[in-house]
Amino acid sequence: MTLCLEIFTAPGCNRCGRALELAQRLSEEPGNQRLSWRRVDVVEELDYAVQRGIRFTPAFVLDGKLLFRGMPAEQPLRDTVLKQLARHEG
Amino acid sequence: MKAEQQKSYRISDIAARTGFSPDTLRYYEKIGLLKGVNRTPSGLRCYSERDLSRLRFIQRAKTMDFSLEEIARLIEMREDPQHARYEVRALAHQKLASIEQHMATLKLLKDELTLLINLCRGSDNGCPIIDRLDRQDTDS
Repeated sequence: MTLCLEIFTAPGCNRCGRALELAQRLSEEPGNQRLSWRRVDVVEELDYAVQRGIRFTPAFVLDGKLLFRGMPAEQPLRDTVLKQLARHEG
Repeated sequence: MKAEQQKSYRISDIAARTGFSPDTLRYYEKIGLLKGVNRTPSGLRCYSERDLSRLRFIQRAKTMDFSLEEIARLIEMREDPQHARYEVRALAHQKLASIEQHMATLKLLKDELTLLINLCRGSDNGCPIIDRLDRQDTDS
């Protein structure tokens, strides 16, 4: 079973592009084949974003749980995702 | 020791404090929603802190669209909660459930508006979110 990383973005959000690149890089790293990701445009999916606790963009949700609000540094995000993947496999 | 004198208010004071008009205050008394309002020797209404508290309760209940009849029953419970009749307790439970539902709706609305405001913050060229929502409305 794969884990889904969702990146919540919005039009006019300066840092969302970097967030998407980061998600792309993470999903392509060796050993992360079970990580999928998708972009969620908060305007298109406003109800879903509110339900997930999103208050601003970018925001990172993994497996339905809000991980980071705003743009995290790459390493903490990678560590959190890897930990969740390991837990999921275990 | 001299006993502290109870604070009392004239109808105009109460109207100013609650926003109810003097006519409404007299009407609430007439239909029994507000019982036992004291009078001065010259016959002027003289409201107590307790009357003011009841009126504030009426005001809150009205914002939740409770009927005057329902409010009267809830005031009955407010005066003597331990001996409230079964149907009055049931009404209080029903109203509590409706308030909780209302609060959940308000929280959702608050979260949605918070998100929209945050998305627009810091944008010098108008709000891209609202612009896009406007376009979606026009297209549909």
